[in-house]
Amino acid sequence: MSDSAASEPRQQRSETFSRLVGLMRASATEEHDWDAVEPGTTTESLGFDSLSILDLLYDVEHEFGVEIEAEEVVEAKTLGDVVRLLEERGAG
Amino acid sequence: MAPAEARAGFATGIRHAAEYRLLQAALAGFDRLPIGTAAALARRLGRTWFALDRRRRRVAISNVLRAGFAGDQRQATDLARRSAEHFALVVLEALRSEEILDREPAEPEGGAEPQPACGGVELRIDPAARALLEDEAQGMVQPACGGVELRIDPAARALLEDEAQGMVLSSGHFGNWEIGGQVLSRFKPVAGIARPMNNPRVERLVQQRKPRYRFRPIPKYSGEPRRFLEVLRQGEALALLTDQHARSGGVPVELFGHPVSTYTTSAMLHLVARVPLCFAACRRVAPLRFELVVSPPIEHRRSGDRRADVQAILRRLNAMLEEQVRLAPDQYVWGHRFWR
Repeated sequence: MSDSAASEPRQQRSETFSRLVGLMRASATEEHDWDAVEPGTTTESLGFDSLSILDLLYDVEHEFGVEIEAEEVVEAKTLGDVVRLLEERGAG
Repeated sequence: MAPAEARAGFATGIRHAAEYRLLQAALAGFDRLPIGTAAALARRLGRTWFALDRRRRRVAISNVLRAGFAGDQRQATDLARRSAEHFALVVLEALRSEEILDREPAEPEGGAEPQPACGGVELRIDPAARALLEDEAQGMVQPACGGVELRIDPAARALLEDEAQGMVLSSGHFGNWEIGGQVLSRFKPVAGIARPMNNPRVERLVQQRKPRYRFRPIPKYSGEPRRFLEVLRQGEALALLTDQHARSGGVPVELFGHPVSTYTTSAMLHLVARVPLCFAACRRVAPLRFELVVSPPIEHRRSGDRRADVQAILRRLNAMLEEQVRLAPDQYVWGHRFWR
């Protein structure tokens, strides 16, 4: 596999991740160092509970134009898990 | 544990044990009374509580005036007092709900042309009117459940009768929401979101006593984030009372013309879990007699503006609650601080 082919998914994931973090930042009720957030960061550590995660799901579906089962998002522990869900749905 | 904490814990334990014994004795006493006598006593207790609890009395009177249900302080005090009596009845009726839900039809009096009675209500309905009433498509009165007359929208009824379909039922502190939940649990299991009492022994006692059919409480706060979604996935109904102050966790929605910070759970579950949402209310129409109303499912298309969508849904729910409260303002629990 060429270098460009290998870096393409990483680039796309990075963009998806950045947009996701932007959405979370906009709907979060707690202060965080958002620049330090990584794919391994849990949604819970950013203050998203069972109810505020529903707000995030609404925003994510609207932003990325996809439909995700609410339970899947609740079960996704980390931001990386959410990004994977989005990629599986072909989020653009 | 520090000595001060240990002393406080010991004092709390003693208080909880005393409350438990007191309630146990009171319930045993209530159980021996005929329901009518118990209801009269409950009303009296409600009046006493209203007289003693100055803070809640002030809140209730202020709320009644602010909502425009009284022209002056005297009228507001009267309505707030009747609301306190009503709340005491709600507790009694919930504890002895089997006497409401399992009522036998009354015997028709002599000389009347008998028609099948409905609980304690004798029916004298013109045949043409009866045909209309019995037509489900007309959305009118349906067969009663004990002492509870059902007015369930046909589409809502279809959802209730679909075992696989989860749904959200929204209501307020109006009428007897406990009786309403128990009746609806005859269609499908109902999980009511509730805050447990501070005294765990009292909580256990109350839970053990209530004949709940398939109505069960689930904790408002829990470490398990999936609990609401699981209820819905299992085809159950999730029941919420929305007229509570949500502090910073809510969105402002008008109730009786004044904004209340309102929990968004019911609206968000409808929007993102894509489950049907109906309003329900169970109003007392006579002693131990109720009318249970379930609205058609609320349908709201997402606009992309989450806050606007949530507020639009909650406004509709509040409008339906207000409509019910106007029918019986004394059956609304005015004593909680939804406006802050």
